[in-house]
Amino acid sequence: MNLKFKDFQKLNMGPKELDSIRALSFKKFEEQGFPTKRQEHWKYTDLKTIINNNFLNLQIFENKNSLQLNSSFLLKNFDHNKIILLNGSFIESNFSFEDEKKINIKSLKVALENKEEFEKIKKYFEDDQNSMISLNHALVNDGIICEIDNNYSFNKPLVLYNFFNKSADSKIVNNKVFISLGENSNLSLVDFYKSENNIKYFNNSIHNYTIKKNAILKKYSINATLDQSYNYCSTKVNSFSNSVFENFLLSLGPNLIKNEIHCNLLENFSSCFINGIMLLNGNQHHELKTNVNHKFENCKSSQLIKSVLLDKSNGTYQGKIYVDRRAQKTNGYQLSKALILSENSEFNSKPELEIYADDVKCSHGSTTGNIDENSIFYLMSRGLTKQQANKMIVEGFLNEVIETIAESDVKKLISQLFVERINKANV
Amino acid sequence: MLDISNLSASIEDKKILKNFNLKIRNGEVHAIMGPNGSGKSTLANILSGRKGYKIEGKVLYEGKDLLNIPIEERAQKGIFLAFQYPTEIPGVNTNNFLKTSLNAVRKFRDLKELDSLDFLKLVKEKSKNLKIEEKILSRQLNVGFSGGEKKKNEILQMTILEPKLAILDETDSGLDIDALRIVSDGVNALRNKNRSFLIITHYQRLLDYIKPDFVHVLVNGKIVKTGSSDLAQELEKDGYEGVATAR
Repeated sequence: MNLKFKDFQKLNMGPKELDSIRALSFKKFEEQGFPTKRQEHWKYTDLKTIINNNFLNLQIFENKNSLQLNSSFLLKNFDHNKIILLNGSFIESNFSFEDEKKINIKSLKVALENKEEFEKIKKYFEDDQNSMISLNHALVNDGIICEIDNNYSFNKPLVLYNFFNKSADSKIVNNKVFISLGENSNLSLVDFYKSENNIKYFNNSIHNYTIKKNAILKKYSINATLDQSYNYCSTKVNSFSNSVFENFLLSLGPNLIKNEIHCNLLENFSSCFINGIMLLNGNQHHELKTNVNHKFENCKSSQLIKSVLLDKSNGTYQGKIYVDRRAQKTNGYQLSKALILSENSEFNSKPELEIYADDVKCSHGSTTGNIDENSIFYLMSRGLTKQQANKMIVEGFLNEVIETIAESDVKKLISQLFVERINKANV
Repeated sequence: MLDISNLSASIEDKKILKNFNLKIRNGEVHAIMGPNGSGKSTLANILSGRKGYKIEGKVLYEGKDLLNIPIEERAQKGIFLAFQYPTEIPGVNTNNFLKTSLNAVRKFRDLKELDSLDFLKLVKEKSKNLKIEEKILSRQLNVGFSGGEKKKNEILQMTILEPKLAILDETDSGLDIDALRIVSDGVNALRNKNRSFLIITHYQRLLDYIKPDFVHVLVNGKIVKTGSSDLAQELEKDGYEGVATAR
């Protein structure tokens, strides 16, 4: 592979400081290359091998043509506000259900070209000892910055569309998303991914969220339709006093995705809930790595991940709870359950608890197994075929996590997408 | 309806049923009573198709070799087993399960499959008769159900599926007196000249409510005595040992 960074640099000149961060970050990436399984955090997802096996000539995505949107991709029968990213670039937004004065949105591309604007986000370009992050710092060329005022609750969910079309084929797209939620504000964010048929791309994306005092951010990450995409998405969350961060992941679609969620519970009584399902078949490879950092007293976190593996698919959940010395009265919980339905599939679960405080409640559990034979027998003795019985049990197993979604319109959307997917999965 | 001859069954070299014979004609209600470990549940399991037994002998159901019929087809052809310990299946909605099951059976019988509306009407009526609270039907299948709710749910399924041969495996165990009466009423309401029942129980109590045509005493894998419903009273008085040795 030969990423043409020099050409990219010429086309993306910005403030001097950014230019030098890009150059330095690219150098770091070149030294390390794509991560391999020799690195602890990439033990279960050997990205280098996966890229070499699937991309002959991966190139940097350059946004040259004016971008055309295929509007049939938009969600129907679901009232929502929208932000549309096409191939990682900001196209348009629409907040028709909201008081638009309370929302400030701008394209990251514009911010990267302006010295003062860049100054505000510079701190998010830190070195992270992770070559994918370095690569993103070097090659990011668009995304969004969205700031929501204090005391504003959205009336309808906000869908962040991530569309990819044939211009992204064989390309690596690097973008960043910044969302900041003001004090006492409330937002439901649907992070929705969809691509045109038969295109193969790599999306390397970093999301940075700030959740201020008493604010609530509910995020739904939806990768539902089968596609040939390869994705790395790192989400970094800073949560302040009494705030709530919820992330539900519907991990069904892409060939490869590694989702990382790093949530810092920085002040009293903030909480973090991560729930998700994976349903994988064929050669799909999905990983969720979470890192919940309890940095202050009285914070709460909970994680529930359920996975079903078919064919030669590969799933991983690495869930870490870190409890700082200061973080007394922490309440942390995580549970992973996986059903392995094929001899050739694989599931890796690695719970990690790192605790430095002495008055905490932390627990974790992990089970991996087959479908219970008694359950199958019970259903078959009522006239269901083995296939019907299997499907009903798998659907029920995963549905339990979907049932945790409190918002009925989002839950309905997610249920629909899930049912479409499971009907195709040949359980 | 059912003709079992010389049925022997063993599990891991342990013989459980030994040359067991039983004939059930249309419309008959047979009770099998016996002490723990006599093979009652094994008989029920084999008839419904549970794997894991080494089986010899012959079982004819409506003249066909039952042992070669797949599990789901037995159900579709009208065999119903009310489980002693109904399985809890997390995440599976009870109503959705009932509907899928009923439609699988209806499809086999060349009947029109019911849509959600018709199904809900049917299930509402049937569950009312069994005094089943409607809200438990929107819960996960058997999960968190009390012992009585589980057993009533089995009888509800039986009522909806309208089997030709119903096997009740210790349906009375764990039921209080009121629930026992409701369950028995449910069974009695289904009795007709074509439908047969095989009722497996430890205690004579259930048979006060459901009067069987025949009572068989199963000890050590074999029927040691057959009689009318009076035999159940006798068992209550003399115990299995008394009846088994007095033959």
